Amino acid sequence: MNASAHSIPHGHDDRDAHGHDDHGAGHGHIVLQYQPGLPLSKGKLIMWLFLSTEIMFFAALLGSYVVLRFGAAVWPKPHHVHLSEPIGAFNTFVLICSSVTIVLALEAAKANKVAMAKNWMLTTLLLGSLFLGIKGYEYSAKFSHGIYPAQPHSRIYEKPDLYYGAAVRARLGEPAIIEQLKTLDETPEDKLGSDEASARRRLQKIRQMVTSPDQQPFDLAVVADQIMPLPSEGTGGHGGHAEGLNDIFPWLRLPAVIPGGNMWASTYFLLTGFHAIHVAVGLLVFAILLSYRLDRKRAGMIENAGLYWHFVDLVWIFLFPLLYLF
Amino acid sequence: MSEHSSPADSHGPITRVGAPSSPTAAHDHDGGHGHHDDHADGHESHGGIGQYLAVFAALCVLTTMSFLTYSSVWPWRDQPHVGWAFMMAVSCTKAMLVVLFFMHVLWEANWKYVLTIPAAMMAIFLALMLVPDVGLRNRMVAQERVLHMARPGDLRLMEQAAEMQVLADPAAH
Repeated sequence: MNASAHSIPHGHDDRDAHGHDDHGAGHGHIVLQYQPGLPLSKGKLIMWLFLSTEIMFFAALLGSYVVLRFGAAVWPKPHHVHLSEPIGAFNTFVLICSSVTIVLALEAAKANKVAMAKNWMLTTLLLGSLFLGIKGYEYSAKFSHGIYPAQPHSRIYEKPDLYYGAAVRARLGEPAIIEQLKTLDETPEDKLGSDEASARRRLQKIRQMVTSPDQQPFDLAVVADQIMPLPSEGTGGHGGHAEGLNDIFPWLRLPAVIPGGNMWASTYFLLTGFHAIHVAVGLLVFAILLSYRLDRKRAGMIENAGLYWHFVDLVWIFLFPLLYLF
Repeated sequence: MSEHSSPADSHGPITRVGAPSSPTAAHDHDGGHGHHDDHADGHESHGGIGQYLAVFAALCVLTTMSFLTYSSVWPWRDQPHVGWAFMMAVSCTKAMLVVLFFMHVLWEANWKYVLTIPAAMMAIFLALMLVPDVGLRNRMVAQERVLHMARPGDLRLMEQAAEMQVLADPAAH
C-alpha cells in the first residue's frame, strides 16, 4: 500500500497509508478502503431495514383497524364475536416467554454454551408452536359460529332485516336440513335431552315465525336471538352465554346476526392472520437454526432471528388489547 | 495492512478507516466473531440474565394490568375511554421494554434513530391519512347504504329480543 494516499478518502489516514508493511509489493496497485455507513454487520443492518418496513406494514394494518373500528356505526363487543380474553392474555404470556427464551439462547451462544443455546432455542420453537396452536383453536371456535372473513362460508348478517329472514328461510328449505328437521320432529320426547326438548319447541316456533304472513319486524330479532344470542356483558367471554339453537343443534348452521360482525371478521382475520404468518416464518427460522451448532459463530444469526421474533412479539403486544379488550 | 486483516474480517472490502491499524489492533479482529460487535464485546455493560428476567417480570405485570380492565375490579367500566387510554399506555410501555432491552436498542449506536424514526413517522402519517376517507365514512351516508348497514338501533333490537324472552320455556305453561 505504498504511498497510495490518493486512494484513501480522508487525509488524516496518511499515517496508515505510509504504513510499514508490503513495501515494494504493489506499485501502482490502488487499495480502496471503504468506510462502513453504519457500525453494524450486514446481516443486522438488513434485518433492521426489513423491520422498519415491517413497522410500516403493521402500522398500516393496525391503523386501518383503528380507523375502521372507531368510524363504524356499530362495532361488536369482544364477547359478541366469541373472543375469550383469558385465552388472549395467555397467548400474550406465551409470546413474552418465548421472547425471553430467545434472548437467553443468544446469551448462551455468545458464551459458547452450545447445548444450552440449543435448549433455549427449542423452548422458543415450542412456545411459538403453542401460540399458533391456541390461535388455531380460537379460529376454529370462530368458524364453528359461522364467523368467517368472507362469503360463502360466513353466516353473519349485519341486522335482523328481511334479507336475514330470507336467508334463514333458504337454509331451512335446503333438502338436507328438511330431512334432519323431519327426524328431529319425529323423535319421541323422552329420547331427547331436557335442553334439546325445549330447543326443539323453540325451533318449531321460529320456523313458524320466519314463514308467517303476519310477521312483525321485531320477530326477526327474536329469531336471530334464538339462533345465536349475543352474549350479555360481564358473563366472561365464551363461558356464560345462553345457548343458541346453532349451539344445541350444530348441524343447523343457520344464519346469525352480529351487528358490525362482518367488518370485524375481516379485520380480525387479516390482522391475526398476518401475525400468525409471521409467527410461522419465525418458527421456520428457528427450526433451521436448530440444525446448526449454536456456538459463538452463530451468535449473529441468532441475534437477527431474535430481532425478528421480538418484533412479532411487539405486534402482538398491540394486537391483544386492540382486538380483545377494546 | 488491510490485506493482513482481511481473513479475519468477514466484511471483505470493508475496513474501518478510523481504527488504529497496528498489528495488535488487527489481531483484535481475530476474536473469532464473524461480525462487528465491537461495542458488544468491548464492555459487557448490557444484557445480563438478571436484567432480562427483570424485564420479563415487568412485562408479565403489565400484561396483568391491561387484563385488569376486563375484570370486575376495574372501576371505570362505564367509561371505556379510560380503559383504552390505560391499555395503550401499558402497551407502549411494554413495547418500549421489548425494544430497548430484548432488541438491545438501548445499547446501539445512533444508527437506531436513522432506521426507526422515519419508519415510525411514516406509520403515523399512514394511519392519519386514512382518517378522512375511512374513519369519517359514516358521517354522511347514502340512504340506500343505511338500509343495509348495521346501526346502533339493530344492536338495541337484539338486546331487547334477548330481554323479552318471547319464547322462554313454553314447557312451564
